[in-house]
Amino acid sequence: MFAIEIKDIRKKYKGAEASALDGFSFLVKQQQIVGLLGPNGAGKTTTISILCGIIQPDSGAAFILGKDCMKQIQQIRYLIGMVPQQIALFGNLTAMENFTYIGRLYGLSTATINTRTRHLLERLGLDNQAHKRINAYSGGMKRRANIIASLLHEPEILILDEPTAGVDVQSRAMILDFLKEYRRQNKTILYTSHLMDEAEQICDEVAIIDEGRFVISGAPKELVKNTVNCKRLEDVFLHYTGRTVRDTTE
Amino acid sequence: MRRDISGLILLLVMPAALIIVMALIQDAPFKDYKELKFDLLLADNDHGSLAAQITNGLKHSKNFYVTDSLDGKPITEAQLKQLLNKGDYKIGIVIPSGVTAEMVNAANIVVNDIAKRTGITTTMPTRELRGQMYIHLYFDPVSKPSFRTPIAAALDKYITYSSTNILMERLSMLSKDTTTTTTDKADLSKIMQGIGLKEEPLNDKGDLMLHINSVQHNVPAWAIFGMFFIVVPIAGHLLREREDGSAFRIALIPGATFYVTLGKIVFYTLICTVQFMIMLSIGLWAMPVWGLPALYPGLHPLLLLPVAVCIAFTATAYGLFTGTIFKTITQALPFGSVSVVILSAIGGIWIPVEILPESMQRLAIISPMHWSLDAVNQVILRNGDLSSVLPSLAILFAIGVLLWVASLIISKRQNRPI
Repeated sequence: MFAIEIKDIRKKYKGAEASALDGFSFLVKQQQIVGLLGPNGAGKTTTISILCGIIQPDSGAAFILGKDCMKQIQQIRYLIGMVPQQIALFGNLTAMENFTYIGRLYGLSTATINTRTRHLLERLGLDNQAHKRINAYSGGMKRRANIIASLLHEPEILILDEPTAGVDVQSRAMILDFLKEYRRQNKTILYTSHLMDEAEQICDEVAIIDEGRFVISGAPKELVKNTVNCKRLEDVFLHYTGRTVRDTTE
Repeated sequence: MRRDISGLILLLVMPAALIIVMALIQDAPFKDYKELKFDLLLADNDHGSLAAQITNGLKHSKNFYVTDSLDGKPITEAQLKQLLNKGDYKIGIVIPSGVTAEMVNAANIVVNDIAKRTGITTTMPTRELRGQMYIHLYFDPVSKPSFRTPIAAALDKYITYSSTNILMERLSMLSKDTTTTTTDKADLSKIMQGIGLKEEPLNDKGDLMLHINSVQHNVPAWAIFGMFFIVVPIAGHLLREREDGSAFRIALIPGATFYVTLGKIVFYTLICTVQFMIMLSIGLWAMPVWGLPALYPGLHPLLLLPVAVCIAFTATAYGLFTGTIFKTITQALPFGSVSVVILSAIGGIWIPVEILPESMQRLAIISPMHWSLDAVNQVILRNGDLSSVLPSLAILFAIGVLLWVASLIISKRQNRPI
């Protein structure tokens, strides 16, 4: 069984000229770190939003661990941990208050919340800052707290939308180390990024998406090896998506 | 809650300031003019008994402070007009020369006519009538018609009373000249006062029936207005949560949206209920400190609690609705505040619905504030029991549920987590 199975998904937003997803299909094996790469407006965030049940596709199907994203979304939400691009936390609350509140909404006991939070705070270097308000955190700290909030219910699949965008080098290294460690706990990770070196470094497999369509997938090293005149994953990416700048507007 | 204590205090202090200021400002307009006392200038060019009776009557009345001399000299008509024009006084009356003589002559003619019809030979001295004479009434030019009418009616009453007295006096003189009656002047006056008009309470609650006054209207009205103004912080809060992503986090947690929304409704309903109770307490105990009457809470004051909860729930649901239908704070906040002002105007918060134009009275039913005020008025003005407030509460509750359900549907359709 695949961790994630996407079949011929189509999605066009109201008023948009082009489809965000145009027959996109994609498979993610279990216990892997998979990078979903694409230029701006390629359809990465739309794919993730469909997997989380935030938006509905116009057609096609998506499954997470065999469960239908359109019909069994409540069950799926216990299986996935979503780390969105924006800091999805209550800025006026402390990190600990945020985690307690979120944990309670997942139905976790206070003892479980405390145990898991303590471990994650320590692992992501926030154990001394747990009682400070999120608004007082730096960008890197917010990103790390954002990840902790998504892991409290110990999801089987972690989905991250550009988790290292705009963070300092140390925070970025800490996040990437953590993701590798999390995968070692037999978990699956799907993440999007614009940072090719980062994807090359941590991903078992990457998939390139452009203009809502699947382009290519494979292990980063294999892709580099099999693409003409490419020495790095970035070369592969530019080879398939071109050098034209993709500016997107809402 | 403890994160924003100053916001919470403002939520209570601002409505409190509003109800005190509005009750004070509207105290005079809400009072019957019979309850007020006005300065009145009087120029007596007659110096007769009718003028004396009018002057004495006005001086002893509860409604007027009569000024008939300045610097020890009687006021002239020219001085009176000048003072009114300057705005120093609001009302002036000029009793023209010869008005007593004219009234006595008219009374004598009436008495002679009665005597003739009843076969009494006695006659009073008369002369030809010179036509109707007027006592001149002047107002400060800026006086509103709503002020002039009751004042003119009150003065007319005194003049009629004095004129009647003269007639009675002449009739008494006729009776003294004959042996056909034993009625003296005092008896005649009593007889003439035998039938009067007295307002009675509408039911057996007696003295507990109150007329609306500034406090009875303004305290509940502006407390309700303040409760509905929670629309602004709720909408702002929802939009900020959407913008900072915390609403997205809730949307990702299975089943959390319903409980979080319910939690918000319970919390804000509680805040609004506390706010209403504090406003009522101000009406009960702080208003007398400002020289206003204390709020009368009705015969069933405990009913105000479910009424407050129902109003608070509807106000909260309206806040959720406003926060859901708009994409940005800059859209939601002006809509929230202006719509509350409009709904309060049509709902009778500013001016009681009964005195609005008929078209506006029909429109009032769309305002939840109209039903809120109606429920409160049932308790504090009509001494209503539970059965009398239930219809308004049912409508209010239905509006609240409708807004909540609409918010949930819109939130799902537009993919905007509450």
